[in-house]
Amino acid sequence: MEKIYDSQMNVHDFIKAMFEKNIVSGLGALTQLPDNKGISYSLLSDGFDFQKCMPFYPVMPANAAIAVSKLTRETSPSSPIAVFLRPCELRALIELTKIKQARLDNLILISFDCSGVFPFKDGKYPTEDTLKRYDQSIKEAKINDTIRQVCKGCENYQPEGADIAISIIGRGVHESLALSFATEKGKSIQEKMGLTASEIQPSTIEQLTSDKKRNKQELFKNTQISNLDELLDVFDTCIACRACSYVCPICYCKNCYFDSQTFQYYPENYAQRLNKKNTLRLPLDRIFFHMGRLSHMGSSCVACGMCSDVCPVDIPVSEMFKAGGQNIQGVFNYQPGQNLDEPMPLVTYQEKELHEMED
Amino acid sequence: MSDEKEFIPNIVYGLCAWCGTGGSETAAAHHLKYPENIKPFRVMCTGALDPVYILRALIEGADGFIVSGCHPGDCHYDSGNYRARRRIAALKSILNTLGLDSDRVWLRWVGHGEGQRLVDTAFEFNEHIKKLGPNPLKSRRDS
Amino acid sequence: MDDIKWLQGKGKPGIKSFFQDILTRGLIDTVLMPAKNKKGNSYAWFLMNKDGFLETSDPIPPVMTIQGANILKNITKKGESWSKTAVVLRPCELRAVIELTKLEQINLENIILISFDCPGAYPLTQYISGDQTSLDQKYDSSLYTASFETERNACIMCDKFTGQGADIQLCFLGQSDDGFLISAASAKGKELLKDVNGTNEENLEIKTKKRDELLGQLQKEKNEKRQVILDRFKETIYGTDNLLNVFSACINCHNCRRACPICFCSECYFESKALYSEADNQLNRATRKNALRMPSDLLLFHLGRMNHMSISCVSCGACEDACPENIPVSLLFSLVSRDTQAVFNYDPGHSLEEPLPFVVYKNEELKEYEAHYTKRHQSACNCNTK
Repeated sequence: MEKIYDSQMNVHDFIKAMFEKNIVSGLGALTQLPDNKGISYSLLSDGFDFQKCMPFYPVMPANAAIAVSKLTRETSPSSPIAVFLRPCELRALIELTKIKQARLDNLILISFDCSGVFPFKDGKYPTEDTLKRYDQSIKEAKINDTIRQVCKGCENYQPEGADIAISIIGRGVHESLALSFATEKGKSIQEKMGLTASEIQPSTIEQLTSDKKRNKQELFKNTQISNLDELLDVFDTCIACRACSYVCPICYCKNCYFDSQTFQYYPENYAQRLNKKNTLRLPLDRIFFHMGRLSHMGSSCVACGMCSDVCPVDIPVSEMFKAGGQNIQGVFNYQPGQNLDEPMPLVTYQEKELHEMED
Repeated sequence: MSDEKEFIPNIVYGLCAWCGTGGSETAAAHHLKYPENIKPFRVMCTGALDPVYILRALIEGADGFIVSGCHPGDCHYDSGNYRARRRIAALKSILNTLGLDSDRVWLRWVGHGEGQRLVDTAFEFNEHIKKLGPNPLKSRRDS
Repeated sequence: MDDIKWLQGKGKPGIKSFFQDILTRGLIDTVLMPAKNKKGNSYAWFLMNKDGFLETSDPIPPVMTIQGANILKNITKKGESWSKTAVVLRPCELRAVIELTKLEQINLENIILISFDCPGAYPLTQYISGDQTSLDQKYDSSLYTASFETERNACIMCDKFTGQGADIQLCFLGQSDDGFLISAASAKGKELLKDVNGTNEENLEIKTKKRDELLGQLQKEKNEKRQVILDRFKETIYGTDNLLNVFSACINCHNCRRACPICFCSECYFESKALYSEADNQLNRATRKNALRMPSDLLLFHLGRMNHMSISCVSCGACEDACPENIPVSLLFSLVSRDTQAVFNYDPGHSLEEPLPFVVYKNEELKEYEAHYTKRHQSACNCNTK
C-alpha cells in the first residue's frame, strides 16, 4: 500500500502548482463550458482559469481515454501533459496503449477513487440537489442511488496504475487533496512539489466494496440472457445506429468490420435469404453485430458504461457487456487495464492451455 | 500615436495553382508587396478547396479567408472554379444563416497576369477584416 | 380517369389488406414495409414475400425507427432488385430515396415506390418508453383528418407530407375511414393500378376534390407554420454564442450522421485520418484558445456536415431521433438547408430529373457571392512606389 500524503491544497491549487513548477504544460480534465452551459473534457493550457476545471464532476460526456487516444495516437507530446481519468477511463487508456492507439510517454496519469457518474442522457446534467447528495455519499463512503447501474456495480473503482492517485472517498471533493504516488514518474513529481510531510490514514472501504460486489451480482442477475428469445427481446428495439460502438473506447477500429463491405450484400443474397425464410427483418446482422462486437472487444471491456448512455432506444448495453466481458476475461484470467505489461489474451497463445474448452 | 494595440488580422489566402498563384508570381516580378499577415495557401484548383478547410481555419484561428482562382471560363480543369463558386455560395449561406459573419469569406477571381489585382485584393480584404474586428469563433474553447 | 381508383376498406386494416391483396395476386413479388417488432413496443423493417406477409405489418407506423431510404440502400446499392418489389415509404423517406438514387446509392429498377398522406410520427424515445396501445390508437384515428399532434420537430413543421413523386400514392386526407384513393403517377404505377381491385365509380371526382381542398389548405397552413418555427428558432441560435450553446451538450458521438440517409459516405471525412493531428499541434491549439474541447472538432463536424449534405437534406428528423442528448439537430439542419437549397433553387427529392447542384455548373451564376473588384487599393499603390 502506497503512503498517502496530505497536500494541503485543493484540486485547483494543485493544478496551478503543477503549471507553476513547470511539471506540466497541458492538462486534460472535465471542464465547465463558457457561461456554465455544460461540461466537457478539455485540454487546458497555462492561461486557463483553473477554477473552471472540475475533474471530479460526476458525468462522463465521453470516455476520456478516447480524448487521450486522439491526442497521442500520432505522436506523444514533446512536453508533459497531465490527464485526469476515472479508473475505468484509465483502464481503457492502458488497453488502448497496448493496441498502439495511445502513447503514455510524457503523459502524467492522475486518477482518483471514483464514486460513479450519473447517466448523461437528453442533455440533462445532475441538479444542484443531486450533486449535494452525491458529495454526501462520497464523504460517507456509500453508493449514491441515482448513479448509473454499471457504476453501482463497479468494484474496480480504485485508481490502479495511475502516476498520481487522489483519495476522495471518505474525505469529500472539497477537502485538501490526499495524494499517493505509485510510479517513478509520480515520485519525481512528489519531489518537485515537495510533498513529504503529514501522512494520512486511508479510509475504510471494505463495506463499500462488498456493497458494490453485491450490486454487481444483482445487476448480472437482472440482465442475464439465458436463451435466444431473451437475446432477441433485449435487442428488439435496436435501430442499428452503432452509437454504442462509436463511443466505446475499446472499439478503436476506424473501419468497423460490421460496417465493411463484407456486410454489404448483393440483391441476390437478400433473395436467397428471403426464399428460405419468407420474412426478413432488416437491416440484417443486427444481433450479429452485438455478438460480434462483444467477441471483438469483450476481453478488454472496462465497463465504463458509455454505450448505455448513448443508446437512443435505451438498451442496457453496458450492463450486458459488463457481464459478457467479465466471462471472457475470466476464461483467460485477464484484467483489462490493470497492467501495461500484461499481454492481451488474443495476442498470446500457448500449446498447453484451455483444454477444458475442447471437446 | 495611439496606445491601443493595433488589431492585426490573421488571414488565409487560398490560391489556385494556375491563376491565383500565377497572380502572386506576377506581383513578385513587379515588386508589389501585400500585407505580411496574409498567409498564402496553395491548392491545385479552387474547386479542390473543400469549404471544410475554410471552416477549420475560421474555427482554429483565422479572422478571414479569401479565395482566388481563374476567371470564369479560364479554369485549367474546365469547371473547377464553377464548383468552387457553388461550394462557397453554400458555405456563405450557412454562415449567414447561423450568424457567423459570412463576410469573413471572400471569393474573387485573379488571373495569372493580374499581379496588381492580387495585391489590391489582399489590401482590400485586410482593411475589410480590420473593420470587422477579430473573429469571435477563433477564441472559443467550446468549439 | 385511369390513374386513380377508390378502394373500399375500413381504417388501417383496410390499407393493410391492399398490400396483402396485390402480394397474393402476384402483382408484386415482394414488399418492404414496417411491422411491429417482436416485443411489440416498436417497429422494424421487414422484407416479405407472399408466404411471409406479417399480420403485424403496418404501412403507416406511428414512429420512424430507421429511415427507409437507408434500408432500400442496403438492398439495392450493389445492383437491381431480383423481383418486383413494392416499398412503402413516408414522404420524407421517399425524398431521401430520390436523393440517394441521384447519388447512385439506390437502384430503382424493379422497385415500385409507394407513399401516402403522412400524419407525422412520434419521437422515437417517447414511443418506446410510452404506452404503445394508446399511442397507436390515437395515431390511427387521426389518419383521415390530419389531426395528429406530435412533439417531433421534423413532423411539426413538415409541409411536404404527401407521397408526391411516388409511383403509387395512397390518399386518405378528407376521406371517410371506409376507404381511400390510390393514384398512380408513373408508368410503373399505372401498370400496377390497372389490376388493382378498386372501383372507378362516378363520385371519384368528388372524393378527389375533397382531398385537394383539404390538402391545399393544410399545405398552406403547414408551410406558414414551418417558416414561423424556423424563423423563431433562428433567433435563438443566431451568432457564435447562441450556436455554441445549442451544442453545449453534444458529446461528439456522430450519431446524427449515422442516422442521416443523405450522409451515405462509408467513411466520413470527419472520422478520417484527415483530422488526426500530432499531440503538440493539439496542445498549440489549446494554448491559442486557453483550452480545447475534447474530443475536438465538434463544431467543425456539424458545420462541415451542413456543408456536405444540407443541399439534399429532406428534413426527416432521423438525426434528432438518434441524438442521445436531444439536441434540436433536425431544426438546425432544416433551418440551414432552407437557405442553402434556396441558393440553388433546389428542391431535394422532388424529381429524379432535377440534377444535384454540385454536379452541374454554369458560367454565369451566383455573381452575388463573389467579391467584386472595384478599384486599385490606395496602400497597394503606395507600396509599389516605395
